[in-house]
Amino acid sequence: MSILTGTPKEYVDRWRPVFAFIRKNGSIVLIYGIILIIALWASIFSPAFRSAPNMVNILRQSIIIGLIAIGQSVVVITGGMDFTVAMVARTTALTIATIFLYSHSNSDLIIPLIFLGIGIGLILGLINGVLVTYTHANPFVITFGVANILRGIDLAISQNPIRGIPAPYLKIYDAQIGIVPVNIIVMALVWFAAWIFTTRTRPGRALFAVGGSERIARLSAIRINWTLVMAYVFSGACAALAGLFLLSRNGVGDPAAAEGMEFQSVVAVALGGISLYGGKGSMIGTLGGVLLIAMLWNVFNFMHVDIYYQQLLLGLVVLIAVAAYKSPRSL
Amino acid sequence: MNSIPVKPNVFSRFTTLRANQRLVSGVDWAGKWAAPILDILILILAGFIAPAFYNPENLKTVGIQIAILGVVAIGQTVVLLVRSIDLSVGMLMALGAVIVVQTQEGASIPLALIEAFLTAAAIGLIIGLLVTKRQVPPFVATFGMMVFIQGARLAYSHGQASGTVPELLRAISINPLGGFLPAALVVWVLANLAVLFVLKLTPVGRWIYAVGGNPAAARYAGINIDAVVIGAHIFCSMSALLGGLMLSGYIGYLDLGLGADYNTNAIAAVVVGGTTFTGGRGNLYGTAAGVVLLILLLNLVVVLGLPINWQLAMQGLVLVAATALQGFRQFLLNR
Repeated sequence: MSILTGTPKEYVDRWRPVFAFIRKNGSIVLIYGIILIIALWASIFSPAFRSAPNMVNILRQSIIIGLIAIGQSVVVITGGMDFTVAMVARTTALTIATIFLYSHSNSDLIIPLIFLGIGIGLILGLINGVLVTYTHANPFVITFGVANILRGIDLAISQNPIRGIPAPYLKIYDAQIGIVPVNIIVMALVWFAAWIFTTRTRPGRALFAVGGSERIARLSAIRINWTLVMAYVFSGACAALAGLFLLSRNGVGDPAAAEGMEFQSVVAVALGGISLYGGKGSMIGTLGGVLLIAMLWNVFNFMHVDIYYQQLLLGLVVLIAVAAYKSPRSL
Repeated sequence: MNSIPVKPNVFSRFTTLRANQRLVSGVDWAGKWAAPILDILILILAGFIAPAFYNPENLKTVGIQIAILGVVAIGQTVVLLVRSIDLSVGMLMALGAVIVVQTQEGASIPLALIEAFLTAAAIGLIIGLLVTKRQVPPFVATFGMMVFIQGARLAYSHGQASGTVPELLRAISINPLGGFLPAALVVWVLANLAVLFVLKLTPVGRWIYAVGGNPAAARYAGINIDAVVIGAHIFCSMSALLGGLMLSGYIGYLDLGLGADYNTNAIAAVVVGGTTFTGGRGNLYGTAAGVVLLILLLNLVVVLGLPINWQLAMQGLVLVAATALQGFRQFLLNR
């Protein structure tokens, strides 16, 4: 007679753990649900979208925004925001490209320069972290200002695309180990490291404590300055790594590289359910946000959305995303 | 009294720092007066290192640039006073100019102007609603609005803005009044006077300072906080639009990159002028001094013949230094 076997109460009891999971991780379930719906919808309308190479492509292309967003989410968890990420990526790419140019595309330098690039990211992150902690200023605005300084420095490095990147370096972006692209491996490793860091280690949990309530964190003997600086350094290193991949993808040191990435990373983080007031969220959500953005661009291309309307649609998605979630504001 | 009593429940990142009266008043004084003093110093310095600065043509350019940034900064000041921020001003400036110039070909100019100002008011309203009713951090809400406006502008103009700038826009920016004074400066002074009147002499002004200074107390005093914040955002968007119209009148043609660096500049000017991010502290005199300081620095880069990227670095440096100073000042004052 009924599709429900048993009384309604038993039925509810059976599903209780599922409901509890959804209630606890609402934003994560929501974002992966949206990804699934868009993917299904696009697959029905576009055979090219549902092909396996395209799916791998989406994963591969999400590396740059993905790496930046992973670093960004660590900062956002502490209640701040890092608007320098795009410029850190650009500065790294331009510096490395310039050194390649002056060393006549010497391919022996690739390994040292990769380390140098990450070093640049670490140092720029350190500058951000020190500025944010020791001046007690608004992290949004101070990183916005630092981003502007870096923009000026980047223009000073070069105003034209820098050629002369050695061929082996250009292959990094398309390289594969076995059948798995290097991009996906790097992204997976960094993501996994960040996930372990934020969920399983003591300094990682301190990020949440500082973001939730600085006062209680201090009472719990957490080193706030150290935690904040560490978050910005991590974000800088991730952005620099993204810059290295960007250089490999573009093939030239592009002075306009990574434009708008700072915003896309914040969007990915916000879509993934990390509270922009800090203290809440997880890396699993960030991954969902990154995949959604990468997939949206891909779907736009397959649906032949006019390029003039792509940004409008993205802006609309963003406004709806930020309006949809509500977090308490203490007055 | 030799030392400021430290409230026991305030936990700071400066555990080792002992604030004494002299440090607090010194930083407070620096936060308030840095911009006017630097203005005068730079004006004197410019006479020695760059005599070309005092060329009448250059002074006229500086005057118009001060006026345009000044009008935008007035709105930004009001928004910062109520503990919010608006990052979409630069994009809004360009959108308004695009709307006016493109619609005036068919429609009449007053109609186009009304349309543009209504658009700006609607954008301000949306930002205000997001900030107050949905509790989105203002930085994120306006940044999202910036991307949206950029997209809307591209979709509306299809990448190519066309049309000639109407005579009315030239009249409010570049055309000289009384022989030499650019009209833009007059518009700026009038706007300053009007807003000063509202801030100093009307209840609205007191509401703005009250909401910025202590929102909880303002609510208990019976002020409709949400309405004040929304109103501030609407005002800021409309003043940004006015700035955009003046800018397009000054440049004389439409450019999609119009107003791109006014985001950083407006915030930097306001913060240099002594307005803090924590609201309720700051005034329009300081903002005017900050605007003058920023434009002087940017103009000196040009007059001295330095590469143009120094302008960008200069904006960033001013913003970082001013933010750091104001953050430290607010922190000390709150202890």
